[in-house]
Amino acid sequence: MFGALYASEGSSTDALVGVAAEFSPRYEVTGPRDVTLDLSGLARLFGSARAIADELQRTAAERGLAVRVAIAGTTTAARLLARGSHHAITVIDPGGEPEALASLPLALLANVTNEHSNVPNVPNDPNVPNDPNVPNDPNVPNDPNGSNELATFRKWGLRTLGDIARLPPDAVAARLGQPGVQLQRLAHGEDLRPLRPAVPEERFERALDLEWPIDGLEPLSFVLGRLMEPLAAHLDRRGRGAAVLHVRLHLVTRAVHERALQLPAPIKDARTLRTLALLDLESHPPAAAIDRVVVAVDPTPARVLQFSLLTRPLPSPEQISTLMARLSALMGEGRCGSPVAVDTWQPGAFAMKPFAPSQPPSPGLRTAAPPHRCAVALRRFRIPVPARVRVEQGRPIRVITDRRGLAGSVGTNSGTGSVARCAGPWRTAGNWWTKGTWERDEWDVTLSDGATYCVFRDRGTDAWFLEGVVD
Amino acid sequence: MSHPAAAVLESALRARKLDRTLTTALQPGKGDGLVAPTGATALDAVLHGGLPRGELSEVAGAPSSGRTTLLLQVMAAATHRGEIAALVDTFDRLDLGSIVAAGIDLDRLLWIRGEASSPPDRAIERALKALNLVLQSGGFGVAAIDLADAPSSALSRLPFTTWMRVQRTIEGSETACLIVGPHPIARSAGGVTLSLGGASRWAGDADRSRRIAGLDVTVRVVSPRRRVEGEVAVAAEFA
Repeated sequence: MFGALYASEGSSTDALVGVAAEFSPRYEVTGPRDVTLDLSGLARLFGSARAIADELQRTAAERGLAVRVAIAGTTTAARLLARGSHHAITVIDPGGEPEALASLPLALLANVTNEHSNVPNVPNDPNVPNDPNVPNDPNVPNDPNGSNELATFRKWGLRTLGDIARLPPDAVAARLGQPGVQLQRLAHGEDLRPLRPAVPEERFERALDLEWPIDGLEPLSFVLGRLMEPLAAHLDRRGRGAAVLHVRLHLVTRAVHERALQLPAPIKDARTLRTLALLDLESHPPAAAIDRVVVAVDPTPARVLQFSLLTRPLPSPEQISTLMARLSALMGEGRCGSPVAVDTWQPGAFAMKPFAPSQPPSPGLRTAAPPHRCAVALRRFRIPVPARVRVEQGRPIRVITDRRGLAGSVGTNSGTGSVARCAGPWRTAGNWWTKGTWERDEWDVTLSDGATYCVFRDRGTDAWFLEGVVD
Repeated sequence: MSHPAAAVLESALRARKLDRTLTTALQPGKGDGLVAPTGATALDAVLHGGLPRGELSEVAGAPSSGRTTLLLQVMAAATHRGEIAALVDTFDRLDLGSIVAAGIDLDRLLWIRGEASSPPDRAIERALKALNLVLQSGGFGVAAIDLADAPSSALSRLPFTTWMRVQRTIEGSETACLIVGPHPIARSAGGVTLSLGGASRWAGDADRSRRIAGLDVTVRVVSPRRRVEGEVAVAAEFA
């Protein structure tokens, strides 16, 4: 026995779900104003089906909802009756669905067919545009071609579900195929699929109130460990992993120190989660002692990974996350990751992104190695090194810097900085439309000591710089 | 030559300290799984396949000798095999254009950038800590530290146990660790030392047509324990 609640326009879905949840744990939200629930076993509690319907409506009214209630032997019949019936309560005995549905308009099928993947979407009947019993559901997309089975039924002059139900099934199958047959089964009040009960959202959160405030990360690590372990076990039981880790520290100053860590992959390992939280708190410590610790995670389906004997496995996301957190704490934020090319001609421009390698393809799928080609590399000075360059006949003949170990630097054996060979200039300019403009003449120079440098003259300031060394 | 799958399995057992379950140990320097090919065919031939995994190797040379070129070549070969590579860039010298030209898969490269403006001693100390973290984490095919611009005085102040500790960390792992420096620093017995000498190759005689065409690198391989010794020429072109 199934029931359906159909609320009036403007009703809250949450309130409607609350009413359904009060009666049965097996309920399905089939639309913003439409809930279907399994009423099996409730007769022992309330008595007859009519009594259940009365109780449902009374509970809804207590919550300020005006609902129509229908009870039938199938979810489809209950839904159609709740939407299409003129009565506030409709109760149909099992087996009586086809008769009860016979007088309902054809357009009602549009509201149930979109729930069944095998049945094509059906537009609402244009002939019943403002019928209060046949609400236009915005979630039902219109068939762009209009050549669907329901439109065909209309062309045949059929107007009610009873008209469809009375058609010979073989003839419907011959003319419209399986979708037509399924529409006819719906018109009979048959279910094309079982009820899909809604699963209430689980909260993955643990909190601990401390008798004595704690100060410092070392005692906090024990507290975090105690909270993370049951949380990780809970995630494991539900086949979930943490996508985002939230740590809320309630301080003695009544302030709340809150941190959220985006994890690169679903993680459910307690030690990893604790380490990541601690490393983050090392970089962003709380301002005062802590008297309450709350740890929560945003769950996501856990990873399923198939390893191979033939390829080297990459470190797990837990290991990479921990490594990146440690490296960021050591080297600074934004100094570790994978390089990314940026859309500019500006010399030395690059960006960084989090290091998240994907699993390598299996040896059979790997592409053949490209032909060997060894490309000369440049060691770039991130901040160009100022240089003194002597120019004769438009070409540099001597390059001197004050930086130890570089071209012609004083007090080293790098030579006098005299230029053995040079090529250039190559003029480059860019970003003249913004503040970060550059305009320069670039040269490649090989000094007498054999080192080859890229140098440039800034045309704006007429100053010379070393950009990098060819190495 | 052992099967790659067997080498991977044996390496995994070693990583989990289960290598005693192996009845035979592979000879070092033999087999595809125990070396990381550099991608330079002639050099790999001299090295019996590539840089030894689980050992500390060195690339040493003066500026413009091709140290960075060879380093990026090794990393490109590693990422192309599907491995991940890490580079501790002590003084933040890496050029993105050079990385792309070398053919490195950017998604498989972990680039750890030091502070160019830091005092050398502090920058080196942090870079070594970062290298240790990378090696302890495991799973990298190649991990390198770039000390090419480190002053000799700062390098000489490093405790002599520094490199022994690094060697102990990667022992038995699949990581080929590489140090790039101005001169041999670690002198690891297990790894190889590649001493580089290079000269720029120029094309064109006239001032207007002259351009730098590439780098001719001479690699001298030294590794008494592995009995690999020789000299090989590697030509690098400008992208």
